[in-house]
Amino acid sequence: MMDMVKAPPPAAATDTSEPVLRIVKGSKIYGGVHAIEDVDFDLYPGEVHALVGENGAGKSTLCKAIAGAIALTSGDYILDGKPARFEQPRDALAAGVCMVYQETSLVPTMTAAQNIELGNEKLLTRFRKLNIQAQQLLQSLNFHVDPATPVAMLGAAKKQMVEIARAIYHRARIIIFDEPTASLTPEEIVHFFHLVRDLRARGVSVIYISHALEESLQIADHITVLRDGRLVASAPASELTRASLIQHMVGRDVAQTLYGKARPARHVRREKVLTVENVTMGMTVKNMSFSVYAGEVVGIAGLIGSGRTEIAKIIFGALKRNLINGGTIRLRGKPVRYRVPKQAIDAGIAYITEDRKLNGFFETMVVDDNIYITNLATDKGWRFLLSKLRRSEIANYWVQRLRINALQRKARIIELSGGNQQKVVVAKSLAQDPSIIIFDEPTRGVDVGTIPHIHAEIRRLADEGKAVVVISSYLPEILSVCDRILVARLGRIAAEFDAATATEDKILYAAIH
Amino acid sequence: MTANATDARSRTSFVGAQLQGLTQEHVVLFITVLLLLAFGVLLKGFATVDNFLTLLRSISILGILALGMALIVISRGIDLSEVAIMAGAWAVGLIQMQQGMPVFWAALLALSIALAIGAVNGFMVAFVEAPALFVTLAAGFVIYGLAFWFAPAWVVYAPKDAPWLMFLGAARVLGVPLPIFVFAAMALIMHLFLSRTSIGRFIYAQGDNPESARYAGIALRPLIILEHVIVAFCAWIAGLVWIGTTGSIQMAVTQGTMIFDVILVVVLGGVSLVGGRGGVFSVIVGCALIGTLLNAFTIMDVNSEVQNIIKGVVLLAAIILDNWLHPRDEETARQGD
Repeated sequence: MMDMVKAPPPAAATDTSEPVLRIVKGSKIYGGVHAIEDVDFDLYPGEVHALVGENGAGKSTLCKAIAGAIALTSGDYILDGKPARFEQPRDALAAGVCMVYQETSLVPTMTAAQNIELGNEKLLTRFRKLNIQAQQLLQSLNFHVDPATPVAMLGAAKKQMVEIARAIYHRARIIIFDEPTASLTPEEIVHFFHLVRDLRARGVSVIYISHALEESLQIADHITVLRDGRLVASAPASELTRASLIQHMVGRDVAQTLYGKARPARHVRREKVLTVENVTMGMTVKNMSFSVYAGEVVGIAGLIGSGRTEIAKIIFGALKRNLINGGTIRLRGKPVRYRVPKQAIDAGIAYITEDRKLNGFFETMVVDDNIYITNLATDKGWRFLLSKLRRSEIANYWVQRLRINALQRKARIIELSGGNQQKVVVAKSLAQDPSIIIFDEPTRGVDVGTIPHIHAEIRRLADEGKAVVVISSYLPEILSVCDRILVARLGRIAAEFDAATATEDKILYAAIH
Repeated sequence: MTANATDARSRTSFVGAQLQGLTQEHVVLFITVLLLLAFGVLLKGFATVDNFLTLLRSISILGILALGMALIVISRGIDLSEVAIMAGAWAVGLIQMQQGMPVFWAALLALSIALAIGAVNGFMVAFVEAPALFVTLAAGFVIYGLAFWFAPAWVVYAPKDAPWLMFLGAARVLGVPLPIFVFAAMALIMHLFLSRTSIGRFIYAQGDNPESARYAGIALRPLIILEHVIVAFCAWIAGLVWIGTTGSIQMAVTQGTMIFDVILVVVLGGVSLVGGRGGVFSVIVGCALIGTLLNAFTIMDVNSEVQNIIKGVVLLAAIILDNWLHPRDEETARQGD
């Protein structure tokens, strides 16, 4: 690999029938779970290749592996017909593979020209010369950006232009866009499409991740559909339609899933426990309204960025809604506003996080301590001195009830499997004896065998008369476990379905904009 | 190259796994024992009861300060004003004694000044959400300035007729200097506090993952204030012992490297700057190593510049060891999420 000296072949000079990049049987495993599994991916010079799939289908993982941000667990990475392996994004960039991230990776305080040169600076830089060079590059791309402007002062579309110019400056032959249009206005999107076509004409290959299916159909030459980390379809865009794409994205054989058929919804509505009225937070949650009743499971479906996680965190007091015109949250009819999660917890609200490593558990502590400590943090469970007896009582109860692997109780939680970790995180919240429980992606990164245990617990909590909210990207989960399904889109509740009549197609149509 | 890269990675993780069983405390303890043996054989006058008592006594003030620092480092914070609190609060207290305030009330005044500074530090960190590093650095300067204003002298002497003030620092019990007992008692109390109480657990939880702690319903803000107040209390106790030992308070310590010695002792013993790791035993082990080194330097008559170089190298080595034992994983180590 040391012989992989920089010899970037002139763009588009290679035989166009040979793929510039191939991934053969690529797999990536996180904590025992396949993020992608045996994915084959070919990219040809001058091709716009769209990747579509639901949240968590593995699109981002695949792209990060291509861009060198993560290493494949197994499988071959072939660039220009030769196997390649990148230790870090920098190496990939040197070989001409560049990823433009959703959150732009530009340095806001530096000028456009400085950003373009970033990572390639010479020892001494003459700014005027730098600006002239950048100006030439931007002009050749038809970008109307002043190279001397700090990036922070540019709009989203211009930032993207700078990103693209940077990629071209680094002689990128493969550019990966992760949700490039998410922050653009319709006019900017049109302009962006021109850019992509322009790149294609220069022989640059483009990988394009997007939730918006129409966009993919419009701009891409070839579309690959991923589902649950596997490749389910790959065909020229001309042979695909919106309907067939959704078919592929959803396309699970219901009989084969673990979840069985949707259960008949129970219409016994009891007390209205939680009401959310016109809650607004910045640009992510806008006038969101819904209610939750005791004894039911409400599902919230929606794409990432639809505001579903944010509303949960607002209810929980982890995020703050707007002070003025922020709407009202009522708990059993009484308006509440929690500044910190502790207040929400003491009022009986639990939020079970979507990212257990980030804010779910304490990695240095063993299972028992992880469960006991949340109970200590409640007003009822508080005591000054730790009690070994109470600790084992509480931990024993939840280990049994959630079937946590008891052999590992002396192990630090970080050493457990994803499924057991998730069960501990669930136990942590339930040990606080909540009456409203919000699950955010309850089975993300959880092994298949554990999923039914968690779903059983969700049903059981509702049967005990608790109000349960399940936020999930995984539609079969929503359909099998919920009584009522809300669909969030762009910070609002866009649709509501009864579990008996909802289908994956209907939900997806409502969720995708 | 592909194979090599994987090999190299698995090798480092293998070494890491081997060392996981060994904690930093063990490594440092092992080194200390080696040094003790080496110095005992090589240095004349090292392996005597008297010298050991001197060694222990010399580290007890550092150790008391380090106990407070350990607590706050475990919570992923830091307090750079600890030495300044000790000197500043007591300088004001001693000046009041010289001007006729009863010793008891002046000591209480010093205590309330110390605790108030701790509370202000904690408030700034918890509610203003300023980084503890800068809050406490700034607090150190302010305390130094204010104390100098009230007590304009580099050295403030304790009154001669105050035996009880000198008791903790100067007295001996069964021939053993009392500061050693004070350190031992403080260590025991701190150990029980950290390991047997809910608040102790919360402090570890906060250091392990502050976001998880917040989501678990731990009230972080009062906790942060409490942590800084406890640090200030340790500083007060250390000051009391200091006065008994030297009969005075030197304001110069606030400008010196003492605060870094305190951090050195804490980090050396395995209280990771990552937070949530280590404990009182780490402090004791760190104190033992540094105490041994300093004592041997004194006997060998090593000058303070060389001492500082060696302390710096030891600190670096401890931090490298810490990084090695608690590596960041693949996902966090790589860019682009």
